[in-house]
Amino acid sequence: MNKSSYIVRTIAKKEMIEFVRDWRTLLAIILIPLLLFPVLFILLPLVLASEAAELDVQMVDVVVQGDSDEELDKLLCTEFVSCSYEELPVDSDNFSDVEPDVERLRNNSVDAILRLKNNTNGTWNFAILDLSTSEHSREASGRIRVAISSWEKSLVNQTLLSHNLDPNATLDPVKLLGDSALSDAATEGEQIGLILSLFIPLVLSIWTATSAVQPSIDMTAGERERGTLEALLSLPCKRMDLLMGKWLAVAIIAGVSVILQIFGLFFAIVFLASSNVIGIPAIELQAMLLMAFAIGLFAIMIVAFELALAIRSRSVKEAGTILGPLMLVIIFPAIFVQLINLDGIEIWWFGVPLVNILLALRELLLNRVIFSHVLVWFISSSFYSMCAAWYAARQFNREDLVESLN
Amino acid sequence: MSTLISLKDIGKKFGDVEALSNVNLEISRGEVVGLVGGNGAGKTTLLRIISGVYNPSEGSIEFEDGVDGNAFRLGVVPESTGLYYRLTAWENIRYHTRIHGVTDDVAWERTSYLAKLLNHEDALGRHTRGFSKGMRQKTAIIRALAHGPDALLLDEPTSGLDVTSARSVRKLVQQLRDEGGTVVYSTHRLEEARQVCDRIVIVHNGSIRADSTPSELLSETGSKTLEEAYVQLTKDESRPRHEQKESEGKLSKWWRRFLTGNTPEVFEDE
Repeated sequence: MNKSSYIVRTIAKKEMIEFVRDWRTLLAIILIPLLLFPVLFILLPLVLASEAAELDVQMVDVVVQGDSDEELDKLLCTEFVSCSYEELPVDSDNFSDVEPDVERLRNNSVDAILRLKNNTNGTWNFAILDLSTSEHSREASGRIRVAISSWEKSLVNQTLLSHNLDPNATLDPVKLLGDSALSDAATEGEQIGLILSLFIPLVLSIWTATSAVQPSIDMTAGERERGTLEALLSLPCKRMDLLMGKWLAVAIIAGVSVILQIFGLFFAIVFLASSNVIGIPAIELQAMLLMAFAIGLFAIMIVAFELALAIRSRSVKEAGTILGPLMLVIIFPAIFVQLINLDGIEIWWFGVPLVNILLALRELLLNRVIFSHVLVWFISSSFYSMCAAWYAARQFNREDLVESLN
Repeated sequence: MSTLISLKDIGKKFGDVEALSNVNLEISRGEVVGLVGGNGAGKTTLLRIISGVYNPSEGSIEFEDGVDGNAFRLGVVPESTGLYYRLTAWENIRYHTRIHGVTDDVAWERTSYLAKLLNHEDALGRHTRGFSKGMRQKTAIIRALAHGPDALLLDEPTSGLDVTSARSVRKLVQQLRDEGGTVVYSTHRLEEARQVCDRIVIVHNGSIRADSTPSELLSETGSKTLEEAYVQLTKDESRPRHEQKESEGKLSKWWRRFLTGNTPEVFEDE
């Protein structure tokens, strides 16, 4: 082993030892990523189910104005819907005008109002008045719509039967035959890949960037602030070795964090999620290796860039102020990339910094290995990574590294 | 005595500020040289140039080969000591000795010896987080010596130490001198320099005003005390200190203007 690589390893090892001795960072970088998805997969369905059950048994007050129908009353006024009846306060020209009832809807004394008018020719008019910002009111409005839909169906059936027509054949003459799941040429694994491609690149990019922030700041601006950098810079090691050692440590910490998060995600998919919702994507080894390679290039770039920005800062606070908003620079493209259509995508997209890696991950999760795309993102990302490393090397060669705000 | 470190016409500028100018200094093997000067005189800048943290803007610096033809090795104790508080004292020391290329066995042997001298043995296995200033200084000194340096640079090593700790540091330096070690000792205390150093180099406003033994300093200036001699040698008015300009980047300057709503002209007048 040559001297340079020995020094890089020594620096990286020391940085990692220091890092793991802080329980707060362990919590943030190791435990949270590991448990994030399992907890989400357990808690989210529980919360949703509990909220839905709560709404189902919620008592709502509905006022029916104008004409009424016995069948509709039976459908609407159930155990959890309290109905009261009133005269219509408006005429046909302003049937859905909320003005006469706005006060009691806004102060929640009534959850929703159904205005009903029998046209005597077998047709009816209705309007539903509600307060869209109130959950109770929305729930009441929803129950009215369900009741009206059932009632309407019943009325139509009665009319059809009275004319000796089969409701099914009349209303639904063209029917889908068979199982739509069997008619898809995409395999189940590919379909799962499509679902995962919508959020895995997002999670990977954001988590790689965010998990590298804290160690980057601690190992650079933190050292400046604590005054440990001067003793280190007086040692017989090149500044490039110092940068490499710190880069290696941050990359390992961020890498472990991302791997744990992915592990947590797949654990949640396999053991906690319903199998008809999500499963394991079908990705070939080649695509998997390319994905690892793409993330690696992304990590080289992002960690070098974060280290460079952090070492420029003379205190941890200053570094946090700079690197915090930087996360937005990553989050926005990551969200934007989800909107880009991969079919027939222009090749230049794979040359745009950051976007190229996210698109590459999306494509690879769909098990698509398109040589021209791989070539462009590989060359462009390598170039961007080298630029970031060059910039970081320049920052580490600054003379004012030993100066701090302390 | 052979010259170990030779500084020729060293100058150092930080932007418009001239921190050092025309510094010529030779440090021989086996001597303890005291750099004496007030705050901002240029002592730390000079030490940082010797230790390689700064590159000189002008002039050159030469080091003789180390003992047995090895590369020249420096041991540095900066004013801030620079210890990692999540590591133990021994881990701090080992980190530096490993980068110096010294095996852990050899480093431990030297560390144990030095810790015994400084009565610091019990602290080696403890995290440095709760260390007193004196314990931190002792750890930093052991760290700077554990790889067997050819010269030791101490930047105000007794600053902030209690009497006992300061005394043990001075005693160690005297012992190093007795054993033929070379030390560059920066301080602003004349009495301390007199006790510890063979030669006193008075640094003032970025230049060397005197470079003699304590007794020569007295005779050359016709003073009765070193304090009088120092005042005489540095009695000229301090050079006009340039306002330290913030090394603020263009982007942050623009951002500051944006936030405060000031026009660039206002800032030009600041």
